[in-house]
Amino acid sequence: MIELLHRVLRSPQGALGLVLVGLILLVVIVGPWIAPYDPESLAPLQRYKPPSAQFWLGTDQYGRDILSRLLHGARATVVLAVFATALGTLAGALIGTISAFRGGRSDEAIMRTVDAVMAIPSLLLALLIVNLLGKSSLNALLAIAIAFTPGMARVTRSVALAVRKQDYVNAAIARGESAGFIVWREMLPNVVAPIIVEMTIRVAFAVMLFATLSFLGLGAQPPASEWGLMVAEARRFMHLSPWMILWPSLAVAFVAIGFNLLGDGLRDALNPRT
Amino acid sequence: MTPILDIAGYGLDYATPAGFTRALDQVTLSVARGEVLGLVGESGSGKTSLAWAIMRHLPESAREAGRISLVDKDLTSASRAEIDAFRGRRIGMVFQDPSTSLNPTLPLGEQLAEVLEHHRGLTRRQAWAEGEAMLARVGLKRPAQMMRRYPHEASGGEKQRVVIATAFACQPECIIFDEPTTALDVITARQILDLFGELQAETGVASLYISHDLALVSRVANRVAVIHRGRIVEQGRVQDVFATPQDAYTRNLLAAVPRPDHRLVDVGPGTGTKTLVEVDKVSVRYGRKPFLSKLLGRENTQFTGNREVSLCVREGEILGIVGESGSGKSTLAKALTGLNPFEGEIRFAGRPIGGLKDMDRTYRRDVQIIFQHPDSSLNPRQRIREILSRPLALYGTPEQREDKNAIGALLEQVRLPAAYADRYPHQLSGGEKQRVAIARAFASRPKLVICDEITSALDVSVQASVIELLVDLQKRFGTAYLFITHDLNLVRQIAHRIAVMYRGDLVDLVDVADLSGGAIHAYTRSLIDAVPAPAAIRA
Repeated sequence: MIELLHRVLRSPQGALGLVLVGLILLVVIVGPWIAPYDPESLAPLQRYKPPSAQFWLGTDQYGRDILSRLLHGARATVVLAVFATALGTLAGALIGTISAFRGGRSDEAIMRTVDAVMAIPSLLLALLIVNLLGKSSLNALLAIAIAFTPGMARVTRSVALAVRKQDYVNAAIARGESAGFIVWREMLPNVVAPIIVEMTIRVAFAVMLFATLSFLGLGAQPPASEWGLMVAEARRFMHLSPWMILWPSLAVAFVAIGFNLLGDGLRDALNPRT
Repeated sequence: MTPILDIAGYGLDYATPAGFTRALDQVTLSVARGEVLGLVGESGSGKTSLAWAIMRHLPESAREAGRISLVDKDLTSASRAEIDAFRGRRIGMVFQDPSTSLNPTLPLGEQLAEVLEHHRGLTRRQAWAEGEAMLARVGLKRPAQMMRRYPHEASGGEKQRVVIATAFACQPECIIFDEPTTALDVITARQILDLFGELQAETGVASLYISHDLALVSRVANRVAVIHRGRIVEQGRVQDVFATPQDAYTRNLLAAVPRPDHRLVDVGPGTGTKTLVEVDKVSVRYGRKPFLSKLLGRENTQFTGNREVSLCVREGEILGIVGESGSGKSTLAKALTGLNPFEGEIRFAGRPIGGLKDMDRTYRRDVQIIFQHPDSSLNPRQRIREILSRPLALYGTPEQREDKNAIGALLEQVRLPAAYADRYPHQLSGGEKQRVAIARAFASRPKLVICDEITSALDVSVQASVIELLVDLQKRFGTAYLFITHDLNLVRQIAHRIAVMYRGDLVDLVDVADLSGGAIHAYTRSLIDAVPAPAAIRA
């Protein structure tokens, strides 16, 4: 683990990604405590303020401090994105590994179904699911997880196919192990490295997808300080104060870039040939 | 005689994060015109590093000392342009595996003609004609056709002939052969060796022949150098080194070479012994039966791995199965362990097994398999403890499952320290890993152990100790072995009977004593003839 960290730090993208993600996690953990104001306290006299010593990032249409809202919203935005990705990854990894292990007709059936689901763009699929389940953060999380599952299943299957041919899997079959044991203990631990890399990259997608859903009014609901929702609300007041839309957009970009860089660094670090 | 290739006090280090690792140390050797110098060493001894050092193809992390000279030119100080000019032109190289050393996307002729155009300045038409002549010279029957073929359209032996033709094409002064026959079947390897002998005598090129196979080197080389951990421990004429080895390492290496006349097991069980497993007309076909082709009346394109193989193994008997790659040896092993579906019937201790469904717990417990590569047969993410605990959990007695020392006992049974239980496979050497795989197979006290080429990935000295362990375990537990190998000398040491397979068919099943002199199949005869006789080592 320490060695892996060392290897990540050796590449510039990895080091930068690690620093950015570290900062984001710090904000997620301590954000609400270091926020200077209550994110939901209205101040009609302080509306549309540009950045100043009093309000570092300015205020919004109700006079709420944008910095405080961003610091509070980090939890909702980033944590939900990470959870959604983790859920989608786990489901996809299981489907992919089982499909590779079973092979033959079942593999064909599972993968063609996955292909069919993949043909629908993930945003469209997420929209469909949220519309079916109803508007809420939790449903948006589920929608994103489901939208990510087919892609993860494909990635995992391609790795698991190579693992399936290894003799330790043959040895386990010849020993009479159960299918569950082989998938869970023999195969999954050996496909984990590329999955983790894929997952970090997808966290960035999840943040953007989540922000998009909130922007469309299908994710977090007002007055939540979710970043995508903040962008959506600020759009109407852009001509009054461009700062309102700039800061949450930058925050989303910041998270996306951070996780993407970390993913790149991890990919290099987990590949022994570099 | 002035040497063509002269290496003096050459040392090579690789820079790693943990400091420098020594690959070669004070290597001094020379090859004269018309001479073949055999360089013998086990894996990791630095023999391939030396080949790349001569070819001037070293990674950035290499640090060198000493001198490598070709005729009068010092190669270690040669410039980039000079290196480009002599590579392929004055020094040629033949690699181990022709299927990876040829570009799969270019026709064979293209790859041969390119060398001629580049180094001898021929026009395309001339190069093509010259290439055809070269291919005819290396014994390919239809050179014009072969020039237009792609690598996947030629057999391993044909490809290696093309590689050899390329190496000889520019009439170099020196050629490095890096295990040129290791990836080939014994009979093909024999033909390639004969070709090597002819071309060598005809051109008088100085050859450096790298190999791990002592018996083979004793046949092709005039002089031999033994390399061990980057140092040349012994060097001299073949007869002298093999007859009176001076260095302790050479002596160990020579002692480890399998000799058919040196039997390691007692006489086999008599004909009266009970039959343990009977294989009755077992066929294996690969590939799915496409249901559409049946409707459309297309021909079945399935590949046959085994065609109606019938044999039996008696209790406590070692039955050797030999054959070249693709002969269906491993297919049979997989059918017996339920990894391949099969047609026909297997009878185990009198009980009929018609397919995967009939392989119940008792059968799985009694029949165990050990694979060729311990790297791939041990899960890299599991500790040795977990690997060995699985067969105990599935088939062990309740006392064994309770016993904290059970894993240690299993390890000690294969002569490994009990402390290895907490290690991961990558922390063990190849031979140690194979011992763990053996311990895993024996954990359930099986009646039949299938050994699928279990020593072919190991060095010859490690192989000897693994074989000794197997023979020892056989004596202790009376286990029957199905010993699959391509090494006829090895199997003649330990098997009671030998089955010979060729392209999916069982062509011969004879008592080991009958191999020399008895009535045997013509293919078996050619196999025996193709194997370098280790007796030559002693002469």
